[in-house]
Amino acid sequence: MEAGSEPLPLDILITNVVCVFRVRCHLDLRHIALKGANVMYKRDEGKVVMKLRRPRVTATIWSSGKIISTGATSEDEAKIGARKCARCLQKLGFQVRFGAFRVVNVLAVCSMPFEIRLPDFTKQQRPLASYEPELHPAVNFKIKPLTASMQIFSTGSITITGLQNSCSPPSLIFPHPKPRSLLPR
Amino acid sequence: MIIRKRVKMAAMAAVSSPRPHPVTKIYCPSHPDAVLVEDYRAGDMICPECGLVVGDRMIDVGSEWRTFSNDHVGKDPSRVGDAQNPLLNGGDLSTVIGKGTGAASFDEFGNSKYQNRRAMTSQDRAMLTAFREINTMADRINLPRNIVDRTNNLFKQVYEQRCLKGRSNDAIASACLYIACRQEGVPRTFKEICAVSRISKKEIGRCFKLILKALETSVDLITTGDFMSRFCSNLGLPKAVQIAATHIARRAVDLDLVPGRSPISVAAAAIYMASQASADKRTQKEIGDIAGVADVTIRQSYRLLYFKAAELFPPDFKFDTPVDKLPQL
Repeated sequence: MEAGSEPLPLDILITNVVCVFRVRCHLDLRHIALKGANVMYKRDEGKVVMKLRRPRVTATIWSSGKIISTGATSEDEAKIGARKCARCLQKLGFQVRFGAFRVVNVLAVCSMPFEIRLPDFTKQQRPLASYEPELHPAVNFKIKPLTASMQIFSTGSITITGLQNSCSPPSLIFPHPKPRSLLPR
Repeated sequence: MIIRKRVKMAAMAAVSSPRPHPVTKIYCPSHPDAVLVEDYRAGDMICPECGLVVGDRMIDVGSEWRTFSNDHVGKDPSRVGDAQNPLLNGGDLSTVIGKGTGAASFDEFGNSKYQNRRAMTSQDRAMLTAFREINTMADRINLPRNIVDRTNNLFKQVYEQRCLKGRSNDAIASACLYIACRQEGVPRTFKEICAVSRISKKEIGRCFKLILKALETSVDLITTGDFMSRFCSNLGLPKAVQIAATHIARRAVDLDLVPGRSPISVAAAAIYMASQASADKRTQKEIGDIAGVADVTIRQSYRLLYFKAAELFPPDFKFDTPVDKLPQL
């Protein structure tokens, strides 16, 4: 494990922040579907999907008052989006109280400037990495200190999922071992 | 199963020597302290010091009946019960009452009066069904007995762990079969296992990952060479073409011409290249059917190989179609 032996300027972009929160009251989904703007009613699954424009988030609303919001690009944006959604519901007439906001999942994307030889990489990282070319073209690598996982593609693109907050990515990328190869093409 | 008649161990009789005898009453007259050795073949007790046969026909471990090879298989009088499968079933020693023979055992409709209800635990029943299913699947692709045994063992381990309890038993069985083939060094593609099972590739893949996690094992990565002999012989290609295709695929992976491509697609493209260069040409569709690869996929991988075609062939390959005349797709 050569930590930071190559000082690469890596851009780790957070692409998605998923959070859950509650409005602490029961919601009438039919009423929201009829009166609300930018909503889709999925009656078979019992939920309403509301899409907001300005933090570009999609909120899935259940009648119990629990809401999942996805699509935000930062934690602050996720909170703003959540509050906006609650405000919309308040305007529709429900006694909304914003509560229990929690970031559940953060997805980030990173790109290595070199290509990666997946079979060799997997052999070196045996218990943590799993590669099944028949099922998925990427290697599933579990990052040990966090309970996050990375999908590593042979082009060098990396997708990180399962993070708890957006502060952890930079610290975890560099302890990443480097038995990779630069391809002279 | 041979019935072993136990020797009744007599209690220690009054023995004159200060050291206690082992529990038998008989002893060699010249060596009273010697521990007698059993010759189980003849059923004798022999003194190890002087070789005197002290007790004759104490234990007979021979078979009570003689069976010959040309006899009925169904009637082995030496057996008292079914052949046990103790590794897999936990040793069910229950016996059943046989079918009635006389007229009194049948009622007026011709049904037998004593209904033989074999009560097996549901666990055993589920396992037996799974083993039967595994046998059927393996039979369809002609897998040898060692792989089937390994699959059965894997299934038993997974079943007893109960981690994958919610999953369909057939899915777990198919995934175990896949893992067993891999572990034995003769991997089958997921599509090949799909072909003999009713479970979808997605579900088998999911169960596969779950089983590896549950049993905490891992399997080796698949390589292109694992499938060459099977695909080539299914296509009817001669040995030279098979060797060429293996060489091409290995060189392609070494030179990393096909990053991120599944080894099966690379193998299929290599077979295509080798067959097109030889006298036995095969179309992409034929190879795609055998390998379970779409022909566009073969085309994609072939394009990547085509650039360096000249370097990929083995040096002693006899070209029927030279390298520059290979089809360019």
